[in-house]
Formats: sequence, C-alpha cells, structure tokens
Amino acid sequence: MTLLRTNCALAALVMLTACGQTVADPSTQYGETPELPAPKQYIMPPMQVPPGEGWDKGQTPVVPAGLQIRAFATGFEHPRNVYVLPNGDVLVVETNGPKAPIYRPKDYVEGKVKALAGSGAPAGNRILLLRDANGDGVPDLRSVFIDHLNSPFGVALVGADLYVAATDAILKFPYTPGETHISAPAVKLTDLPAGAINHHWTKSLTASPDGSKLYVGVGSNSNITENGIPAETGRAAIWEVDRATGLKRIFASGTRNPTGLAFEPTTSKLWAVVNERDEIGPNLVPDYLTSVKESAFYGWPYSYFGQHVDVRVQPQRADLVAKAIPPDYALSSHVAPLGMVFTQASRLPASYRSGVFVSEHGSWDRSPLNGYKVVYVPFRDGRPNGPPQDVVTGFLSPDGARSQGRPVGIALDRSGALLIADDVGNVVWRVSAVG
Amino acid sequence: MSERASDPSELMHPRLIAPGAALLIAALATDVVYWRTLLAQWDNFSIWLIAAGLVLAGAAAFALVVDMALGRIGPIAWGRFAGFALAALLSLLNAFVHSRDAYTAVVPNGLQLSALVAVILLVLGWRGWSLQAVPRPYPSKPREARS
Repeated sequence: MTLLRTNCALAALVMLTACGQTVADPSTQYGETPELPAPKQYIMPPMQVPPGEGWDKGQTPVVPAGLQIRAFATGFEHPRNVYVLPNGDVLVVETNGPKAPIYRPKDYVEGKVKALAGSGAPAGNRILLLRDANGDGVPDLRSVFIDHLNSPFGVALVGADLYVAATDAILKFPYTPGETHISAPAVKLTDLPAGAINHHWTKSLTASPDGSKLYVGVGSNSNITENGIPAETGRAAIWEVDRATGLKRIFASGTRNPTGLAFEPTTSKLWAVVNERDEIGPNLVPDYLTSVKESAFYGWPYSYFGQHVDVRVQPQRADLVAKAIPPDYALSSHVAPLGMVFTQASRLPASYRSGVFVSEHGSWDRSPLNGYKVVYVPFRDGRPNGPPQDVVTGFLSPDGARSQGRPVGIALDRSGALLIADDVGNVVWRVSAVG
Repeated sequence: MSERASDPSELMHPRLIAPGAALLIAALATDVVYWRTLLAQWDNFSIWLIAAGLVLAGAAAFALVVDMALGRIGPIAWGRFAGFALAALLSLLNAFVHSRDAYTAVVPNGLQLSALVAVILLVLGWRGWSLQAVPRPYPSKPREARS
C-alpha cells in the first residue's frame, strides 16, 4: 500500500496526472450551477478507452421498469442519426467523418485510439429508409434512400423539401410521401464550414416551427484552437439559414460543438446540446443543454460557463469573455451529448412526456467514464426541472472495460417510441412502453 | 584496447547524436517563435522536431551498443552519457508537454524544457558528440590530443 502510494506520488510528480485523486461524482455537475474545479494542465490527461466491441447475440441495453427495449434493425455501417418521416418511415444516417489530417504526432495517436473505441469504423455515408408497415416494431422494408453523401448528419423535412446537412453543405432533395428512394439530384441550399481540418464534422439540423428557417450546428475546428484561431471562422456556432434564399447568419456563437438542435414544443424556443472542451480535468468542462438565445456568445474558446477563462487560448479576448453567458443546464463532464429529442409526442409512460431525452455517446477523455447512456431531463414551464434520469443504460460492460454500443442520434417514431442509433453496436434500438 | 579501436572516425553513435541534438536545439528556436507570434504552425514544428530528435536519440543509443559490441569504442565517458540520457528523457517529457493543445503546449513548460535540453546539448556538444572518454590530462588543444 505504501509502495502504491509512493508510486502514485511519483507518477503524479512526473506525469502530473490525477493519480490517486478522487473525481467528484457527476451529480455535482448537473443543472444550472455545476461545481467547477480548478483547471489543470496535464502531461498525460486522464483517459480511459473502452474498446468498442459490439453486442453479443440477444444482448440489449437496459431500461427501467415500465419500458422495454428491442433492436429495431441491425447490420448497419456506423449509424449516427435517425429521423422519422410523417408517414412513419425511419431514416437511418450511416456516416463517419472525413479522413482527419495528421498535423502532429498526437493526431496519429488519437486516430488509433478512436479506432479502438469504435469511432473509426467505415460508414455508408448514405441514408437508409426502413418501413414498419404493420407497426410491430420490426421493419419489413429496407432501402437505400439517398446514396453518396459527404459525411451527412442532420436531416429535416419541411413540406416536400427534405434537407440533409452534409459536412460541407445543406442539400435539398424533393420528397414525395411514400417513396423509398430519391434519385433526383440534390440542390445545394448553402455551403457550411468544412475544409481540410474539419475537426468536428457533424452538422446538426432542425427547422423552425413555421418552416421558414433552418438551424444548423457547426462544431469547432479543434479542441481548443490548437489549429489556430483563423481556422475557427464560422465555427463553434449555430447558424440560421433562410430556407427561401439560402442566406445565412450566425444565430449564436461560442458553442464548441452543438451536436443536437430541437425546438421546445410548448415555448417554440430553440435548444441545443453542446460538447465542451477537453484535457483540463475529468470534471472540466461540463457538456450542456441550453436554450439558444439569439446573438448570444457562450464562451468558446475564450471561457466556459460564463467568465471561467481558458488560459490555453492566446491572445486572450477580455471583451468576449465579458460577453459570455453561461448555458442553462450542465449535463456533467465528458458525457458527449450527441442527440436530443423533446418528449411531448412520446407514448412512453407519463413520467417521460414533458422533457427531453439526451443521448450521451460517452468519451475516453475522462477516467472514470461518464455518459454511455440516454437520459431524460424533466421540464416544467419550458425549463429544465430536476436532475437527469437514466433511461437507457448498459452500453458499457459491467466492469466498464469495453463498450458494447454507444448511443448517438435519437428520435421518436410515429407510435411515440424512442429510436436510438448505436454506432458501435451498428444497431437502431427501439424503446417503448411495456404492454 | 587497440589504437584502431578507439579512432573516433570509426564510431557510429556520434553520427546520430549530432543530427538528433541539432533537431532538439532547433525546437527551442521554434518554441521561441511560437511564444512571440502565437502562430500554431510553430508549435507544430516544435513537436515534430522533438519527435524526430527522440527517434534519432533512440537510434544513437542502439549505435552506441553496436560500437561497444564491436569493440570499436574505448573507455566511455559515463558523465557525458548521463548528460545525453538526461537530455533525451527531458525531451520525452517535453514531447508530452508539446502534445497539449494550444498555448500551454509551449508556454511556459515546453519552452523551459526546450531551453534546458538545448543548454545541456550545447555544453556537451562543444567537445564533440562522441561518448568515448578522452585520455587525461584533458586536452586544451586538438594538437595535444593527437600527441
């Protein structure tokens, strides 16, 4: 024991790791005022990489009493998003990022780590359509809906116009209800920030309730400006795109990686889930859920949760730090929220019908691991009201040594059940009420 | 030890220590430029210089073993060996520091380590890059060393 402690002290001295320190529980970082420890600069940041190994036959994630979970469909190539059309057809976006350039030896190592964790798998880069005509929770038709896309992620249907947010542009396709394949060529609505680095490549997408505007989440081009501040032009922002003209403007900024967007149905306000920065501690910086205020600045890269300055960003901008507003609701650190859906339309038990589901992909930038589950955040009067509740867990093996799946995009199907894209298990899960 | 065995021109390891040291010393220059300009490319130059310097340091260690195995090298100057080994270890630590993101990859710890390594290498290298001990009395002029 003494030897262990000595080794730990030595490791802490030499490697400046968090060795031997206890990490405060994620529950200290839920809600409006998360506990924020002092930032640290590591030699080797605390991390834990659970190899992504997929599910054994018959094995599923775990849901609480009153809910049941089944595989809706399997055998995908890296499914990262789901979208439900008005006739009940389910779109599954098979996608992965463009090849990341190696600018530093670290980029090479990170590529290997991501491959181990199951994030580097080849993807279809296409959208599949699944139809469950008899509503038994098993699709009876499966077809390639749109093929040959450039790292697509967000999907939004407005009237007869289907919008797909590829990594470099919003594309518009004509959609006729009932069709199972779109062969018409895409019309580009507008370009999106991409380029050679394209670090956070997913472009989340949603339409305003009146259908006149599209909102698109554009992630930062780095963890914390290590590719230079000029590389961040137009990034770490939520853009508003006029659907009629394709003209766009930055609606809100300083949101490092806004991976999910949705309108809260009772207030018609835009909300987002955002992935915050890494490598300054296991409990920094909490990822968050927030209403998106027009023209607001949420801090990235200069600060977080208001005026907590990040010294890694130089030259500093005191003027922007002063403007930064804190987000509404912290989800705790390194949970990697990648999808959200408000639940008013769900047919799950009543206790799940007035809030938001958030899918937490989980990260390897923290030890112990956090996330790797789908949570429910209850709302009241259009605002979060209470801590997140676990809804779908069991994505990690019981000892945490490997991941069987990782949840990404989520949606409610026509029957009000929850669909979850799982990009490690290559499954789309369906969670419904028992009975 | 034969006279031929200790001829410095026969030794392999100095030919690898010299370019490796040059790369590690150059990383101090690119660090200073990053510190003054805050342009990310200079931080990237530094980490590649350090990484390549470490590869050459590893190759030099192997070459030293070969020099010893083949009996080409005379008595080893263990103090100098320790100095070069320290420079390599500090550079390994520096590679991790330089793998941080943005400013703190260089300022202040990266810059401090690069400067310390550069000083060690410049002091040790002033007498050349061989780890072979020089016969005493310590020569002050090349002519004396040969006599």
